[in-house]
Amino acid sequence: MLEKMSTNQRVILATVLSLLIFVVYDYFFIPKQPPKLNETNTTKQIAQSAPAPKADLQAPQRQTSAVGEHTGKLGSATLLHIKSKRFEMFIDDLGRIHQVILEEKRYKTESGEQIKLFDESKLPKPLELRFSDVALNEKAFKVPYTYHGPKSLDIDKKSDIVLTQNLGEEQVRKILSIYPDGHYEVRVKVKNGHKYFISPGYRPNVRVDGYTVHGALIKEKDGTITIIEDGDAKGTEIFNGAKIAAAFDRYYTTLFYDFTEGMNVVVSKDAEENPILFIQGSPELKVGGYVGPKEYETLKAIHPELTDVIEYGFFTFIAKPMFKALLALYHWIGNWGWAIVVLTIIIRIILFPLTLKGMLSMQKLKDLAPKIKEIQQKYKGDPQKMNAHMMQLYKKYKVNPMGGCLPMLIQIPIFFAIYRVLLNAIELKGAPWILWITDLSSKDPYYVLPILMGITMFIHQKITPTTITDPMQKKIFTYLPIVFTFFFLTFPAGLTLYWFTNNILSIIQQLIVNKIFEAKKAAQKEQHE
Amino acid sequence: MIRRTILKLLGLYQKVFTLLSYGSCRYYPTCSEYAKWRIEKDNLLIAFIAVVLRILRCNQLFAGGIDYPVIKKELENIKYKKIDVRYWLVPKGGSKFILIKNFKGN
Repeated sequence: MLEKMSTNQRVILATVLSLLIFVVYDYFFIPKQPPKLNETNTTKQIAQSAPAPKADLQAPQRQTSAVGEHTGKLGSATLLHIKSKRFEMFIDDLGRIHQVILEEKRYKTESGEQIKLFDESKLPKPLELRFSDVALNEKAFKVPYTYHGPKSLDIDKKSDIVLTQNLGEEQVRKILSIYPDGHYEVRVKVKNGHKYFISPGYRPNVRVDGYTVHGALIKEKDGTITIIEDGDAKGTEIFNGAKIAAAFDRYYTTLFYDFTEGMNVVVSKDAEENPILFIQGSPELKVGGYVGPKEYETLKAIHPELTDVIEYGFFTFIAKPMFKALLALYHWIGNWGWAIVVLTIIIRIILFPLTLKGMLSMQKLKDLAPKIKEIQQKYKGDPQKMNAHMMQLYKKYKVNPMGGCLPMLIQIPIFFAIYRVLLNAIELKGAPWILWITDLSSKDPYYVLPILMGITMFIHQKITPTTITDPMQKKIFTYLPIVFTFFFLTFPAGLTLYWFTNNILSIIQQLIVNKIFEAKKAAQKEQHE
Repeated sequence: MIRRTILKLLGLYQKVFTLLSYGSCRYYPTCSEYAKWRIEKDNLLIAFIAVVLRILRCNQLFAGGIDYPVIKKELENIKYKKIDVRYWLVPKGGSKFILIKNFKGN
């Protein structure tokens, strides 16, 4: 019967079910585009002639009309090339960040090229400025920016760049202070005060897939975070006094921030209903920005609040501390795989008193088996009554074999949190463990871990005492490891590693408990004889 | 409306989830059943808090056993005629009552 299952079995079952829900959810609700792993952006989508992004910034009935047509002529020539240890940045003759190439070793595509963050055909580009006045705006896209200074800059500390554009009736100055870690400050001076908007840019287009969130994130003055996913942009939405406006894909982001004054953010949408971010300009605008990977420590160094850009979805509240714990362990151990193993052990140690109590109680229950059977027979058709009587029996003998709802429910968020961390934390991208596991965030290429996981699960089942008598139940249990193995085949290796470690620990625990109990029984027997 | 949605979800949970993990609860009534009763008969906020506390208590550190919801209720509009008994209210002093569902009814 079901109520005789051990805690672990119940946990396993609970997880199977949640996995099922998860897989079903994945299947039905996540857009069925094959996960595009276009790490290169070489996919030139209908190039520059693509429909102009509808930047109808209806912030008080203003129209910044079509810009796209003009960009074919200008905006492709490089005005300035900035290089640091971590990135290469290209600034074009429209005073925008045209492209950023990540220079660090770990940011490579499968073909070995360094990752380019932006899709060349997507507009707006970071620092793109659009006037509300249509005529002026058109002009602004025909007149190139000027820049005086070396064409190529190697930076290892904060470097200033001044870009100017003379439009006759208006003069624009962009003063850019770029830091080697990828963040910058920009001051925009518009001499005659024409209304304009400036964009942190279209989101990076490196890792866009159906499994993780991508789109725009706005952190407001009061700390609320709004995420507008790609395909969900409703039209013009305005957020006044926002702290952060970020456009992001799975691992990378381009963002503006201002933690003192706040920014007025306008979110519009493009033809695919993807959100496009702009912030309202002023004659003297000053904001901070960042372009690059969503690395926790980099962002934290710029401003602690920027780490909010790292988004784990629904389970953020538990995934975030999970990541911090993993990060601390990683600093100590130096390998993400082992960090996961150690974290699993720590979680087990915390839960150990509970599990031990449950296991001992389970063993005690065996002696009560005849009484339980009696109750079960007596109240066969009335589960509620049977339960009540069972509870009385447990109370009488001071045992309670049930693991309880809390240990069962607690396992689910932990599992999901690790899953999200593995998927969303750039630090775990390409993080190796040992031997054949070279990337914990993607599936085990040889399926060794899932199979090991299945085997350990099977062993654990074998050595755990159960009193299941129902043949149907027994069958389900026998097939469970196989079902699980299949589930885990395509899961990130890190998650499989977590579950595998968990199984190993369960086995060790069970063996110890079995030993203790046998010793006790032997001692009792001797006493009787 | 909210009440009904939650009750439906709980029913679904009981049917799907508990089908396999049936009997994992250390209490009678089970946490999900407890939640159903509370939500049906108590103030939503209080019910929610009580359910969370119950789930937190539902682990090996607590003895478990029989634990009926206790609700506050002022009895009014008492009709003396034949009725369907859904819940028994066992007085517990003051305006507090132990809530016990009548499974034989309805």
